Amino acid sequence: MESLTQHKVQRYEEFVDRRLKPDLQHAIDERDKIFEQQKIFTDLRRNIENLEKNSITSLRTLVNLGSEVYLQAEVTNTQRIFVDVGLGFHVEFTWSEALNYIQKREERIAKKIDEYNQLIASIKAQIKLVLEGIRELLQLPAEKSLPERSF
Amino acid sequence: MEDTRRGTVTSLASLFPVEEAQKAANRVQGAMAEKRAELDHLLGFVADNNNLINLVHKLPEELSHEIMVPFGKAAFFPGRLIHTNEFLVLLGEGYYAERTSKQTAEILRRRGKALDSQVDSLEAMIKDLQAEANFFGQTIAEAAEGLVEIREDYIEEDTHGEESKSGPLKQHTSDLEKTEANNEEYTRMVARLDELEKEEELAAESGNDNEIYEQTTEDDFHKSVSPVDQSNNKSIATESAEKHHNPDIADQLNFASLDLQSNVGEGKNAAAKKVKFVDHTGKPLIHHEEKTVKATTASKSEVQHQPSQPSFDSHKAFTGSIVEHTENLKTLNGQSSSSTSSQVSGSQPSKPVSRFKMQRR
Repeated sequence: MESLTQHKVQRYEEFVDRRLKPDLQHAIDERDKIFEQQKIFTDLRRNIENLEKNSITSLRTLVNLGSEVYLQAEVTNTQRIFVDVGLGFHVEFTWSEALNYIQKREERIAKKIDEYNQLIASIKAQIKLVLEGIRELLQLPAEKSLPERSF
Repeated sequence: MEDTRRGTVTSLASLFPVEEAQKAANRVQGAMAEKRAELDHLLGFVADNNNLINLVHKLPEELSHEIMVPFGKAAFFPGRLIHTNEFLVLLGEGYYAERTSKQTAEILRRRGKALDSQVDSLEAMIKDLQAEANFFGQTIAEAAEGLVEIREDYIEEDTHGEESKSGPLKQHTSDLEKTEANNEEYTRMVARLDELEKEEELAAESGNDNEIYEQTTEDDFHKSVSPVDQSNNKSIATESAEKHHNPDIADQLNFASLDLQSNVGEGKNAAAKKVKFVDHTGKPLIHHEEKTVKATTASKSEVQHQPSQPSFDSHKAFTGSIVEHTENLKTLNGQSSSSTSSQVSGSQPSKPVSRFKMQRR
């Protein structure tokens, strides 16, 4: 009996370590990526709102050529902005259109984050469940022996 | 045949267990894969750097360039590159330098050189690891095919420490670090080598010597050797040589033993160094190689420093035994490669040994 429980305990532990924990890690990584995207779009939105607020028509920036070598660049007309809509496409927007798009995009991202949060929560719950099972297995033999003695 | 040979037969597998050798080989493979990935990474940097140098060179050709100016990570503005000769270069730690195109190109070139040296060092490490992996692979193959180590006492008439040889030597099977017990043998061999050297100078066959040196260097490098092997193989060689068997049998024995002996000779050379080789996983192989090469080139001068470099002298012994006899000179000239040396030395079973004996002190 002892060896059987030990065997079971071992199997449960292995399951946790091999499947559940990596799954958890994977889900967390994916969620982090989405967080990054969310941040990018939030920043972009703020910038565009800033441009609009101050009616900035032209802009001077430093462009990174690679390996942190910068070159001055001038944007003469800031009215047109090209936004990345995924799959390698960039769409030309005016400010208000761009803001609109970014709004919708942010909503989608928030939904995805919610999904991932749920997934992570469920994996964590599963891990807890298995650990509880292991604990029970280990406690049961001790509990069983008590009634026998009192008998 | 008066001698009672006490011998031990140990399978190589017990010295270098197959699983452990396998694990070590896997570890080395893992390390190599890591290094290769790093190397690829670095090579990517080098390529990027070169592209940038070209770009920096080309940009000042125009006053301004039409480009899409990035705005954050997900948006662009159509715009122009202006002041095309002024580059802001990051020097590190938040310091920037504004440079012209030429100066920027110079900075990038210097960076490229630093990257190249990093790449070189990584490549050297990969080479080391490769050699280590080869060594393990060989060990595994040898252990797997049941290669067996036969150790027998070397019975000689005027002996000192002959019996003690097998004892301490047996202890050394797994401990490559101790070379003390070998010193007795070394001193003995050294004395022999002295005499041989004199004969060698008479014979003056330096050309053949070098050939053999090189061959044995290479042979040895690839063999997994313990110092014990060497002494025992030598004992087998001389022992069998002592008995005046049919030359054929003696030849064969000597082929095998002297073949090993030649490797072993190198092995002795390498013994002290292989100590490091086995213990450390870093650069010892380069170290090792240098030493073996040095050993081959600095042949004669080293013989004088006998006790300190017994391993080297084993070279001499081997060479001397080949040079001595005219009949063997013919065969030596007629054939090529290491088989020659073993055959040559094999075909003169009794003579060099008897000479040794006569001239012994």
